[in-house]
Amino acid sequence: MHGLFRWSSKWWPGVIPLVVFWAIAAWTNTLPMEADLAAHSTAALKDTVLDKSRITVAGRDVTFAADAFSQDGRRSALASVEAVPGVRLVNDETRLVPEVNPFVWSAERDVARVTLGGNSPLPASKSRLLEAAHAALGGVEVVDQMNLSRGAPSHFENAALLLLDQIGKLKDGKIELSDTKVSLSGMARDLGGREAIVAALKNLPEGFSVASDQIKAPPYVFQAYKDPVAVTLTLTGYVPDNNVHAALAAAAERKFFSEKVVDNLKASIGAPSGFAAAVMPALGALSRLSTGTLVVSDREVKLSGDAFYDAAAVQIRAGLGKDLPKDWQFKADISVKPAVAPVDATVCQQLFSDLLAKGRIQFESGRATIDPDSAGLLDRLIETASRCPNANIEIAGHTDGVGDEASNQALSEKRAQAVTDYLVKAGLPADRFTATGYGSTQPVAGNDTDEGKAQNRRIDFVVR
Amino acid sequence: MAYLATFHWGWLLASLLLGLAMGWIAVVHRGQGVSKSTSWWLALLAAALLATSLARVIPGRPGYWLDLGLMMFAAYLAGCAVGSWLRDWVLSRHTPAV
Repeated sequence: MHGLFRWSSKWWPGVIPLVVFWAIAAWTNTLPMEADLAAHSTAALKDTVLDKSRITVAGRDVTFAADAFSQDGRRSALASVEAVPGVRLVNDETRLVPEVNPFVWSAERDVARVTLGGNSPLPASKSRLLEAAHAALGGVEVVDQMNLSRGAPSHFENAALLLLDQIGKLKDGKIELSDTKVSLSGMARDLGGREAIVAALKNLPEGFSVASDQIKAPPYVFQAYKDPVAVTLTLTGYVPDNNVHAALAAAAERKFFSEKVVDNLKASIGAPSGFAAAVMPALGALSRLSTGTLVVSDREVKLSGDAFYDAAAVQIRAGLGKDLPKDWQFKADISVKPAVAPVDATVCQQLFSDLLAKGRIQFESGRATIDPDSAGLLDRLIETASRCPNANIEIAGHTDGVGDEASNQALSEKRAQAVTDYLVKAGLPADRFTATGYGSTQPVAGNDTDEGKAQNRRIDFVVR
Repeated sequence: MAYLATFHWGWLLASLLLGLAMGWIAVVHRGQGVSKSTSWWLALLAAALLATSLARVIPGRPGYWLDLGLMMFAAYLAGCAVGSWLRDWVLSRHTPAV
């Protein structure tokens, strides 16, 4: 042992090359070792959920900066780095992501893109939301402006995913989730889109509720166009359901006795209340026009076109406003068709016969009250009568063979008189018309079939 | 420590061999050794550096360099001790034969 002390006094010369070794080792190994430690530290953090994670190594000391989503997560991340072999000290520069209150998330849609904004609780939920947005919106560009924050309500992700589904049903607008309150605004893409969104929002996770729903629906439009050249009535737009559709189509067939009905209607929910009650009289008013367009948009009825004569124009303007349900608006732009050239009595008779061959004046069953569906036909008859101002015309009432002759006679007279009164009310001179009832004495078809009876119940215009 | 040893084993081996050679030579070296008081000061310096290293007060790269230097120095000293002892043992076996 004593020798060792003696010898050790002579060991010092070797320290000089040792220092040289040391310098070379430090020079060549510092960077590779730092890189190695950084790689190991990064690998150790692989399974921890962090945002903006950054690792810098100086010598064997690691500076670790990251945004953690919980206190536990932060501590465990720190412990993982400290446990990496070779790490001497860890400079903790981690912090918790900021907590926000209220926790707001939003999805906003405009023409070209959907912007996701506000907050998202975790990177994973953020990417799931983006993925869902891409899936729900097809080719629409999705812009991510979400921040990561703490403080999300439970079931946040389920609620946000449900709301993302709804953004596809909007043409433009914004859906915002503030804590557990949902606010919606904008315009639905389709008719019924608003209702579909309301229905879907019933599935929001427990605790979530709709604070304000200001989604507007596109206008519910029904249009009818009477074309005198093609002799068609074209119906386009929407009806609430198949029953209303069938009723409207049947009414159109009755009211437009000579026109072919082109039915392009589609059934869709979202109709304003009182839709059928408003469209029926509006169609009746359109049937009295020579040419015209009816546009029903939400609760507004717009009728434009040409009436056959002055009194008709006045009646239509005044009448339809009264027939519409409450809260409905009516705008009429009705002019009067220019008078047609007069014709002589024979042509007049021919015109009457043609018109009455296409349609018959209808009455309430067993009574002398003219069915409003016949207003269009009567207007055409009145126009024709005014083209031969010098002809005297017999209004001849006929009935079918059912019932006793006396009452048929009386009914035919009353019905002929009712038509005459209608003509006089329209402004034609009373002395040109004679109302005659023929009962069932002049049938034009057999009284043994319903069809034959219907043909026999008629009013004829006979030029004398 | 284990990590440093694994990462720098080549340099530690080189230091050990250097120490072995120096220890081998030191036994028969006729030159002047360090005086006793200087040895004490040097030992004190080494202890102070060791304490600094263990306390981890020097941060970053200098801290690492100090650790590395001390490890290499320790390997060197161990090499010296083994070298000197070996040389002494070899000499003592040969002397009686002469």
